[in-house]
Amino acid sequence: MGLTVVPSASPLIRISGLSVAFNGTPALLGIDLTVGAGETLGLVGESGCGKSVTWLAVLGLLPNSATVGGSATLDGRELVGAPASVLERVRGGRVAMIFQDPASALNPVHRIGRQVSEAVTLHRGLSGGAATAEALRLLDEVGIPDARNRMTAYPHEMSGGQNQRVMIATALAGRPELLIADEPTTALDVTIQAQILDLLRRLQREHGMALVLISHDLGVVAEMCERVCVMYAGRIVEEAQAGALFAGPRHPYTTGLMGALPPLTGPRLRLTAIPGRVPEPWAMPPGCAFAPRCPKRIEACDVSVPNLRGEDRRVACIRAAA
Amino acid sequence: MTLLALDSVARGYPMRRGWLGRAVMVHAVDGVSLEVSAGRTLGVVGESGCGKSTTGRLALGLETPDSGTVTFAGAAMPPPGGAAWRALRAQMQLVPQDPLGALDRRLPVARQIAEPLVIHGIGDAGERADRVATLLASVGLRPDQAARHPHALSGGQRQRAVLARALAAGPALLVCDEPVSALDVSIQAQIVNLLTDLQESHGIAMLFISHDLRVVRQVSHEVAVMYLGRVIERGDPDAIFTDPAHPYSRALVAAIPGGSKPHAILAGDPPNPADRPAGCAFHPRCPVVVARCRAETPTLDVRADGRAVACHLARG
Repeated sequence: MGLTVVPSASPLIRISGLSVAFNGTPALLGIDLTVGAGETLGLVGESGCGKSVTWLAVLGLLPNSATVGGSATLDGRELVGAPASVLERVRGGRVAMIFQDPASALNPVHRIGRQVSEAVTLHRGLSGGAATAEALRLLDEVGIPDARNRMTAYPHEMSGGQNQRVMIATALAGRPELLIADEPTTALDVTIQAQILDLLRRLQREHGMALVLISHDLGVVAEMCERVCVMYAGRIVEEAQAGALFAGPRHPYTTGLMGALPPLTGPRLRLTAIPGRVPEPWAMPPGCAFAPRCPKRIEACDVSVPNLRGEDRRVACIRAAA
Repeated sequence: MTLLALDSVARGYPMRRGWLGRAVMVHAVDGVSLEVSAGRTLGVVGESGCGKSTTGRLALGLETPDSGTVTFAGAAMPPPGGAAWRALRAQMQLVPQDPLGALDRRLPVARQIAEPLVIHGIGDAGERADRVATLLASVGLRPDQAARHPHALSGGQRQRAVLARALAAGPALLVCDEPVSALDVSIQAQIVNLLTDLQESHGIAMLFISHDLRVVRQVSHEVAVMYLGRVIERGDPDAIFTDPAHPYSRALVAAIPGGSKPHAILAGDPPNPADRPAGCAFHPRCPVVVARCRAETPTLDVRADGRAVACHLARG
């Protein structure tokens, strides 16, 4: 379980009304969320719901075909539309990001020691022996066994779990205040996933950094996060403390996701699958995007998009008590 | 009634290490014995490289074992490619993880669903069209979706099309290799429900291969846990999930995210099949290893409670 963090007056990251469209097709339809210092926030949802796009937009990592609107501030400083020089200092510096497939994020023709020390040089201004020593310390810290000798290994000589550790070492090089982990364990075996999640938990505790965990896996999020945002078709549909959310989901989509997950104990009943599929971005329903699949749909659901209501606990559903 | 039986099957592949290295034999499957009864599901779980997919291919006769035998409906598996083997395709079908890779991108899905009927000479054109319509309905696809090409369908719809094609010739056995792993959780539940419905209505047996323990528990009547080419535990799914006997099964169950078991994090990487440890293959990662484990390979023995376990310390 995560740490208990006293919410500070001003969050580290504040996202408001963030929207993204690719060649005119909307992918993100207005996101409001905050991440406090040292906090663990989970973002869950299915493919295409916008959970990754949100952070790629914040960090200016989307291609030119994307139109980004709204605002995202880091300590009050605007990142949307910020000059490249500002974003380059933020990325890998105050905010680092790791991805699902470490093997493709690492350079296959460079030794891992060099890749980590490059990040150290770039973000900390160390060079030569000092950068190498720091790279070695980081590889040690993320649990690469026999790190001194593994510095000269290439990514293909390492396992998937080891490569993810190297990626994490690279991300730590700039001493980030926020680490965004985008499906960090999805490509890994379950016992290795447990190791990597344990590592992230330990690093967060020791460095006091905030962690945003993007995952399709409710189990992973339940285990790692203090607060969770559930996303559907480009919007946040529910936000709550993890314990409260898993004990009693309020949005029918969240309820549906939990019902779709096979239980580990008790009788094996038929799963309550959500019927149908996510709407295509160019054919969004007029009202609530989940209405066509929703068991609690009424006429009013098709009239307008429900707002995310509530204070500590937010839900975007006219049928739910906030 | 036993439909499919694997008896001590082994399959190895030569692998070259490095650019000029000598070829070494990698034992992907190393003496596996399994039985699938008619109309029942055997779940096979394990991590990458444990040999579960190779086991599936051996069960289908797509691979010939180096030793041991595969028996289907009481008869030995014919060698791949021959007339007898081809005729057997109507009886057993593979449902793979990636439906887009399994479908022909250039043909509408209805044509592909009809293909097994054409190949096995089942019915005339009119009967085939009726059969395709029935199959589409049974997997939950609309008639207008049948005219589409695979790329015009979603992942879940493609997996439904693959299932319809697998069912076309009326098989007695489906080998499902990670059939829902590439799907989102809400779609995953639809396909899992569909598989259990089809089993109920058609009486199909399944060999269900997956790394996802939640899904395996949901669909299986019996579960086999594999590690490095061998079955290390086998038994009733509820018994294995609530009280796993082998230390590796315990670690697997404990590692399920959001599970109730406390985390006992297993150290070390998944093992390399080309470098099998002596004695019990799990001993380098085992939290309760004793001297005997390093020297002596445990056999898979059935305990008094009906569970089969390959561990010196879990004889029960």
